[in-house]
Amino acid sequence: MSMQSTEQFSPVQYQRRSQLYRRHIATGAAFKAVANILTVDAYSKTIEEVQKASHLGLADLSTHPRLGFKGSGALSWLNQQKLQLPENPNQAVQQAKGSLIARLSQEEFLILNDLDMASLTAEKLEARYSLDSTDGVYLLPRNDSHCWLALTGIQAPDCLAKLCGIDMRVDKFANGEIAQTSLARVNAIILRYDLGVTPCFYILSDVSLTEFLWDGLLDSMQEFQGVPIGISALKKLSQDI
Amino acid sequence: MAALNRLPPPYGLLLNRDNDITFSFENRDYTGFNGDTIASALAANDQWMISRSFKYHRPRGVLTMAGQDANTLVQLPSDPNILADCENITEGQIVMAQNYSGKFEKDRGAWIAPFAKFLPVGFYYKSFFKPKGIWEKWAPMIRKRTGLGVIDPDFQPEYYDKQYKFYDVVVVGGGPAGMAAALQAAQSGAEVLLADENPILGGSLNYARIDVRSEYAENIRKKMIGDIEAHNNIDVMVNAICNGWFADNWLPIIKGRRLYKVRAKEIIMCVGSLEQQAVFHNNDLPGIMMSSAAQRLIHLYGVRPGKAAVVLTGNTEGYALALDLLDVGIDVKAVIELRESVPQDNDIVKEVMARGVPVKPGHAVFEARKSKNKQHLAAVEIRKIMEEGVCAGSGEIIECDLLCMAVGYTPTYQLICQAGGQLSYDDATAMFTLTNMPKSFQIAGSVNGAWNLDSVFAEARRAAIIACNALGKKAQTVPDPIIDHADISPNFRWPIFPHPKGKEFVDFDEDLQVADIINATRDGYEHIQLVKRYSTCGMGPSQGRHSALATARLVAKATNKTVAQTGVTTARPPFAPERLGHNAGRSFYPAQRSSMHYRHLEAGAQMLQAGAWYRPAYYGPKGSKSESVHAEVLNVRNNVGIVDVSTLGGIEVRGPDAGEFLNRFYTFAFTRQPVGRARYALLTNEAGVIIDDGVACRISQDHYYVTATTGGVSRVFQNMLQWNAQWNLDVDFANVTTAWCGINIAGPNARIVLQKLCHDIDLSAEAFPYMGVREAMVADIPARLIRVGFVGELGFEIHVPQHCGEALWDTLLAAGKDQGIRPFGIEAQRVMRLEKGHIIISQDTDAMSTPMEVQMGWAVSRKKPFFVGGRTLAELEKNPLSRALVGFVANDIEAPIPLECHLVLDGEKMTGRVTSCEMSPTLNKPIGLAYVVPEKAEVGSQIDIRSTGGLLVTAEVVDLPFYDPENQRQEL
Repeated sequence: MSMQSTEQFSPVQYQRRSQLYRRHIATGAAFKAVANILTVDAYSKTIEEVQKASHLGLADLSTHPRLGFKGSGALSWLNQQKLQLPENPNQAVQQAKGSLIARLSQEEFLILNDLDMASLTAEKLEARYSLDSTDGVYLLPRNDSHCWLALTGIQAPDCLAKLCGIDMRVDKFANGEIAQTSLARVNAIILRYDLGVTPCFYILSDVSLTEFLWDGLLDSMQEFQGVPIGISALKKLSQDI
Repeated sequence: MAALNRLPPPYGLLLNRDNDITFSFENRDYTGFNGDTIASALAANDQWMISRSFKYHRPRGVLTMAGQDANTLVQLPSDPNILADCENITEGQIVMAQNYSGKFEKDRGAWIAPFAKFLPVGFYYKSFFKPKGIWEKWAPMIRKRTGLGVIDPDFQPEYYDKQYKFYDVVVVGGGPAGMAAALQAAQSGAEVLLADENPILGGSLNYARIDVRSEYAENIRKKMIGDIEAHNNIDVMVNAICNGWFADNWLPIIKGRRLYKVRAKEIIMCVGSLEQQAVFHNNDLPGIMMSSAAQRLIHLYGVRPGKAAVVLTGNTEGYALALDLLDVGIDVKAVIELRESVPQDNDIVKEVMARGVPVKPGHAVFEARKSKNKQHLAAVEIRKIMEEGVCAGSGEIIECDLLCMAVGYTPTYQLICQAGGQLSYDDATAMFTLTNMPKSFQIAGSVNGAWNLDSVFAEARRAAIIACNALGKKAQTVPDPIIDHADISPNFRWPIFPHPKGKEFVDFDEDLQVADIINATRDGYEHIQLVKRYSTCGMGPSQGRHSALATARLVAKATNKTVAQTGVTTARPPFAPERLGHNAGRSFYPAQRSSMHYRHLEAGAQMLQAGAWYRPAYYGPKGSKSESVHAEVLNVRNNVGIVDVSTLGGIEVRGPDAGEFLNRFYTFAFTRQPVGRARYALLTNEAGVIIDDGVACRISQDHYYVTATTGGVSRVFQNMLQWNAQWNLDVDFANVTTAWCGINIAGPNARIVLQKLCHDIDLSAEAFPYMGVREAMVADIPARLIRVGFVGELGFEIHVPQHCGEALWDTLLAAGKDQGIRPFGIEAQRVMRLEKGHIIISQDTDAMSTPMEVQMGWAVSRKKPFFVGGRTLAELEKNPLSRALVGFVANDIEAPIPLECHLVLDGEKMTGRVTSCEMSPTLNKPIGLAYVVPEKAEVGSQIDIRSTGGLLVTAEVVDLPFYDPENQRQEL
């Protein structure tokens, strides 16, 4: 991968900015833009970063599209959209094009776009939704209410064990499982969905706490030599089956 | 050069002798080896006095070599009360003793010891309570004499953290029972944690002598450790202390600077037993130690504990120790056998006698005698036991520098009792026993009264099988329980021998003697818990580990009860000393930041914290608050400013019944509120007390966007859910506070600036009037615009998706550059809202404030059939007000400006208080809000406010608002 300088893609040129962009710049991030969404592509060479990510990495996906729906009609409406939905709460199912649908309760769903942003699931659903014409379905602005981080690598469960009271070892916390819990004293949704063979935990928490959580996770990761990683490493890992 | 008392290998299991380590104790250098503790290294160098006692400053030395006593507490440069028999030496370490005045060797504070009889138990309570206030004079002197070490006020906090762990089976204690239980559980398929406080597994197998040739323990220890290390299902944590038991088998295990929060499905406690001291005159002298301490010194640390020894024993382990002492060249002068006869059928006993050691059955150590410098044991006087606790009138003096006590044990009951286990006393074995184990909790080994090694293994495996069966692992037949015979109990029934001169210490921590315990009962404190509080027995650092049994025996005898009836005091967590850092762990202080946080910092804002939120107080250098706020206010009043209001609460209320819900929830009427309009929303509780406010914006027929206060939004959201659980209306709530970023652009030029960025709606006063709500694009960002006027000027509150906040902030500042736009902070906003007479909930209201009291009766609909608090308010309105919130101006601008909570006085009587007061840049005089009595609420009334320094400031009650009473500016 050819490294792109921050001058080429500067976060301040974009409307949507992660609260972490200053930290990313300070850490030497190269950014990548897809359809007006700017994310960290990598902090170092991709091949090195993939190795780091498979060990322990932390990525910021906060600018990536996501949204939520809830209400008594949410299940039915999402079914009408021909999506594959989890049967039970606290489970996530991957759609054909890579996006994830997480069921947070009987009547609440969270949609996370795929890393390549090929599916545009969140955007399409938002476009189809209208409060006035959709009984009992209420859109939730997860795009902005929550940050979206990804903790990857075989050491991720050990790292999480320092911050969270749920047993997230890979043989205890299944792929596709969700915990709505406390992480470093703040509420968080933790969703495990592996990237290929690499454990991956998506973490969504109150957006105003993004920096607090990022710093707390990096601090916890130090013991295991974990580092920030970009989306290129995540994508590469997801292809490693 | 080898230290004086150092033994050659294979003694010293924990030592790595490759390099010397030099450290200092009391300003003198010593050397030891890697693996040495401070105490073992000092002992190797023949330094036996390690500290002094808390009360009488008596010399104290090694007692347990297991961190179970307070004798070895020492001072490190930044750490007081370090257990010298647990703390490893490090190169250059500086160690000092504790509890002495002047010189350690010649303690000026030791003068008090001969006067001990004038300091009986309860002395402080009896002596320092009158005349009134005398304790305040005594306390510093007493504190100076006692105390436990010195803290370092310059100490820099270190990094501590916590980690969760989860296991099927947690085995606490890595001795023979623990190792056997762990292996059995692992072989049954369980994930096992085996935790031990010592540096290596093995427990007593590391130092105790099981057979005459001293081979069995070593062989079996090596094999078991090898098996454990080879087993994938077992995690081993050494140097890890389990410091408590909490509900649902939650175990805090401390290792290094980390507290592990361990969840165990099943627990097997194999925590062993604590050896007890005999109680006789001068039993605290350095050179007198537990038999296990001597064995630890020899086998773990390669230290010869003395040259000439006497063994006081009531069990066969004393004989095993005697062989150990003989093996390392110590002259064993005698074995003093407390029992009337010597067991003849024991191979170890036979070997001791065969090696010519005199054995004195039916004898006790009546007193220990001090060396010339009074700092070590020089001899013991042994006497024949005539009856329980009574010795003959004379005896025999035996010169020795080492006395080892092997008179019995107590089970390490602390964690087990915390889990609900019941401690009883068995008169037949003279031992405490543990019963009544809770579910998923078992004990095995000597803590359960098993002393024979085969019994220990069998019992541990049995416990593991029960645990694994409960876990649904490979089902196995549970063997019958193993019961050791009472005749091999290691406890001698009464190893307590009062002396005419006292100094037979029951509790070393607090220098408590036999008479102190008995006198406590005579003073009326007969219950063991009262004895503890009155005498402080068991309240020292070792928490009764060596005093509980002797105290129970003494109290039982003094009160004519059995030991079982007397019991012991409660052993609460923590089991061992732990640092505040372990409890605190990493410092998680969640801090909330809006998307514009760094823009505020870049603009020179001084930030303040409102709850977890960081907010800009004002923009300017520290200390420039007054000038900065003044300038910010004037810029808004005369021009245009922007303020970050992202912390404002936001709740989506959606559904067919949304209007009906708000109608019931807030005091105003909402069902007929037009789409595209905002309405003030005042919230009261059932008592009619104001608890929050905001505006309800009707976005569409079934959709309201309701704002709430920064600190109140969570409560408002919860209240909404709670009320609708009763009302069951078809409505949905979503707390979207942080999903939206809010910027308020205010000032007469606000529209001009906004018009540059917002082209899809008409911003004119006619098309978008005051309290209007619109959805539009602002700088190509989807936004909700609300025309509100908290600061009393033409203003638009612009709410955009959180991640777009900074972009909007940047764009607004750029767009308003020609107009001289500048940001303003919370302080300026507070001044301007006060000028406009707007209240802040919880600053201008309290837990009693009703809408009528704060002149907001206009915000209450009397026509609605119901709203929360409505009935109460209707009743309250039938009666006159008892107070009113009024506006006031202080016309004397030279007088100190009243502050929040300054009192309103009527003569000497307090009649109210100031809730807000600021210097108004617009009016150029102090203005404020205050609660006053109704008769002072009339405009023109004069009120007296006791201001800073007690000065009375007279203020005049005026009409609200102070500024723009016709509301012309906000409705521009």
